[in-house]
Amino acid sequence: MNRLRHLFNVYGAVLAAVPKFYTAYRAWVWMEFVVQILAMVVLYFFWQAVYASGGALGGLTFQQTINYVMLAQMLMPLVENRLIFNFGWMLREGQIAIDLLRPMDFQARLYVDAVGNLFLNLLVKAPLLIMAVVFFQVQLPRDVTTWLVFIVALALGHAVMFFFDWIFSCLAFYSTETWGLSVVRVAVVTFFSGAIVPLQMMPHWLQTTANLLPFAQSVYVPVSFLSGVTPSSAAAQAWLIQLAWLIGLGVISRLVFRRSLRKITVQGG
Amino acid sequence: MSIIHVQDLSKVYRIVEKDPGLAGSFKALFRPRYKDILAVDRISFTIEPGELVGYIGVNGAGKSTTIKMLTGILLPSGGAVRVLERDPYQQRVPNARDIGVVFGQRSQLWWDLPLIESLNFIQRIYEIPPASFKRRLDEFAETLELKALFGTPIRNLSLGQKMRAELAATLIHDPQVVYLDEPTIGLDLLVKERIREFIKAQNRQRNVTVILTTHDLGDIEEICQRVIMIDAGRIIYDGPLSLIKARFGKFREITLETASPIGLFALPTGAEIVQQADQRLTLRFDRTVTTASQVAAAIMNQLEVADFSLAEPDLASIVKQIYSGALHA
Repeated sequence: MNRLRHLFNVYGAVLAAVPKFYTAYRAWVWMEFVVQILAMVVLYFFWQAVYASGGALGGLTFQQTINYVMLAQMLMPLVENRLIFNFGWMLREGQIAIDLLRPMDFQARLYVDAVGNLFLNLLVKAPLLIMAVVFFQVQLPRDVTTWLVFIVALALGHAVMFFFDWIFSCLAFYSTETWGLSVVRVAVVTFFSGAIVPLQMMPHWLQTTANLLPFAQSVYVPVSFLSGVTPSSAAAQAWLIQLAWLIGLGVISRLVFRRSLRKITVQGG
Repeated sequence: MSIIHVQDLSKVYRIVEKDPGLAGSFKALFRPRYKDILAVDRISFTIEPGELVGYIGVNGAGKSTTIKMLTGILLPSGGAVRVLERDPYQQRVPNARDIGVVFGQRSQLWWDLPLIESLNFIQRIYEIPPASFKRRLDEFAETLELKALFGTPIRNLSLGQKMRAELAATLIHDPQVVYLDEPTIGLDLLVKERIREFIKAQNRQRNVTVILTTHDLGDIEEICQRVIMIDAGRIIYDGPLSLIKARFGKFREITLETASPIGLFALPTGAEIVQQADQRLTLRFDRTVTTASQVAAAIMNQLEVADFSLAEPDLASIVKQIYSGALHA
């Protein structure tokens, strides 16, 4: 009980701090809005042209595809995080010394921070979702179950991505070239997470590859529930797979970080 | 029972040696050539609760590396550190709860937010009871003159204000050990004075142990009873400040002002001229060879002296002496 109150105090403070910094990115949030509205227009007409000859693609109807691609491109930036830039900056500036000296788990702190940001982003993106429904024929599920399935899948998928990024970001301990690394990461993750096209539409060997990588867990899995591509009856199995990824990557991320920390040299002073 | 225990502590940095240019970068990538740098070399000391210790040395002597190992950020390459009965690296989080650290070159405060936001955050993560938090806040508002600054974003604070805010943030959870890594760097004399007073008062009232690294010997002279001096990773002196002065400060300087321009005079035994102007003469003498009165008397016999003063050597000149090898001799 005391332990619980302690965790609530400490990590609650981290969570409470998130909105205070969020306003700093306000201009960035608006820019993203404009870009995403443009993307919706392009996606809509592109897929309309693709489906003009009628029929289904990869077993998906036009409606399912539109739901999927619109929601996926909205969700994509949400599971993306700036962890590697954070690490790079903290190591370069030596600021990591300050953060390591806080009386809390360094990784747990950044995870709570990421969850807070995800939640805020979802709130801010709500108008975009309404636009998608009103102007671009996106159909959202009407039953509570599907929404719950989606929310759980999103939370799990977000954690999977967080742990992957954590492992990846530890490269910052070994290389100062974090920008180049992150460009490669964004390209690979965007494609294999299913943020551009649903996995069904990929050739078989690409689908297999995507399934062997953790990225689909963070975009494809939750979005396919919300867009009606996957029925919510498949939820239990999907969650278990996500959980397995989460635990596996979570354990590895802690080991890798502990190893990397031994290398730390904290610049300056 | 000592609060900090350091035994044969060493740190070796392994760096990749790189030839200049792009070709060099590639070579370093595929066949790295390593070079080991011994930053801290088997140092040992213990610190008792409530001590005020000055940890000094030139740039690159190993001061900051030692502090980072004591705080638990850096893994030692050899030897052992115990702080409050713990291994600070293995038990970083419990250790962090009981210590406070100021890095003079970086900040623990949120740049864009008012100071009070950072302090409230610190209250929650260190789980400081509200009553004692408020008491400390009131105290610091007074002693560090922070009252008017609580609502100000850090980026709008002056350097001196920022350092006062850092000290408040570092001491508000009542740590038992405080590491101050160059806390007065770049500050003006008045602010330095106030910060020194504050540190001394905290030590007096709460018996907090302070380890201070600095280049400003004024800090050491005003705050510390004990000095640990490090050079090239080795401790070259560990003892009271008074002893270091007695041991190395055997020279005194005497400055005499004369009523009329100085003519020819015989130099007293054991003395040498440091500076000579029209009506002003500064001499240095070894006080193990002669005394101030002997020197003064010898000059006064020859010249009409209007005024004279005697200067104690300051720590700066002593340190210079030690660095230049007086200790090894």
